[in-house]
Amino acid sequence: MNLSSRIYRILLLAYPSEFRREYGGQMVLVFRDGYRDEVDRNRHFAFVTYWLNTLLDLVVTATKEHSQNFGKDRQLMTNMRRDIIALLGTIAIIVAALALLNYGRSHEVSSILAVGRVLDAIVTAGIVGNLVVFLLVKFTQWNSLRIALWTFVVVHAVLVIIIAILGPQVEPQFRLGPILLAYVLSFLFWFGLHWAWRSMRQEVASS
Amino acid sequence: MGKNRSPDDFLPLTPAMFHILLALADRERHGYDSMREVDERTEGKVRLGPGTLYGSIKRMLNDGLIEELDERPDPQLDDERRRYYRLTDFGYRIAVAEAERLAALVKAARSKKLLSQTKFGVR
Repeated sequence: MNLSSRIYRILLLAYPSEFRREYGGQMVLVFRDGYRDEVDRNRHFAFVTYWLNTLLDLVVTATKEHSQNFGKDRQLMTNMRRDIIALLGTIAIIVAALALLNYGRSHEVSSILAVGRVLDAIVTAGIVGNLVVFLLVKFTQWNSLRIALWTFVVVHAVLVIIIAILGPQVEPQFRLGPILLAYVLSFLFWFGLHWAWRSMRQEVASS
Repeated sequence: MGKNRSPDDFLPLTPAMFHILLALADRERHGYDSMREVDERTEGKVRLGPGTLYGSIKRMLNDGLIEELDERPDPQLDDERRRYYRLTDFGYRIAVAEAERLAALVKAARSKKLLSQTKFGVR
């Protein structure tokens, strides 16, 4: 490899590493062949104009490749930020519901105890359901709202069935009606939240 | 990938991309061969630098306009490190669409008498 090709190889550091890895070797070959042809034509200062054109090309295209990478990185960061916000929001809701429930029970606050079953359902179904939704959204290509709908339907139904089976054995005065109502409200709460989040994201994306 | 998109979504092509598609229209070529073909066809008026050439190749590979050959057409004749590219059917359709777009522009320029009849062989 001649000196010019060596220098050009070093200058390729101006490109993003991914681009350099994929095309750097080919670019050096093209530079080498072009340089050799220019020198063979034996024009005065041919190598100077060849170098000037190459440097101009390098500055323009390296800037372009970096700006495209910047766009990709920004999109990745935006998606990551949205995921973190969604995750923290879900945790905050569950923690708040748990705290409210504990406070209501320890201080016997009747208004809180009246919605105690709903809070119970929100906490239990929220933890299991959101975990399943999060994993399915991350590892499949399915529609996220459809995933949320079916996951929450299944999780709520399974929890109601378990409570319906175990409830009478634990509590002789057990009544299924209020439990059913609590889980329906919990389902509406969680699915409504996912629907609102998805609508908000679509609105931001289209604006 | 751009294969689900219409050719019109890609128009107008950048001059570099159209020149590379033209170079690959008759046969598969490696990067420097494409560059030389453009240089010769345009009588030195268009010279693609390595960055422009491979930046365009990267985008056209991503969009499915061209594809890389698994084997070199003539392994004995040149450097084994070279990569060869050819037009895909989709790339061919886009090249045709761009050529038609440019032809319509030339027709408009001609109707406005902006083209010299002798130089461009009109009518």
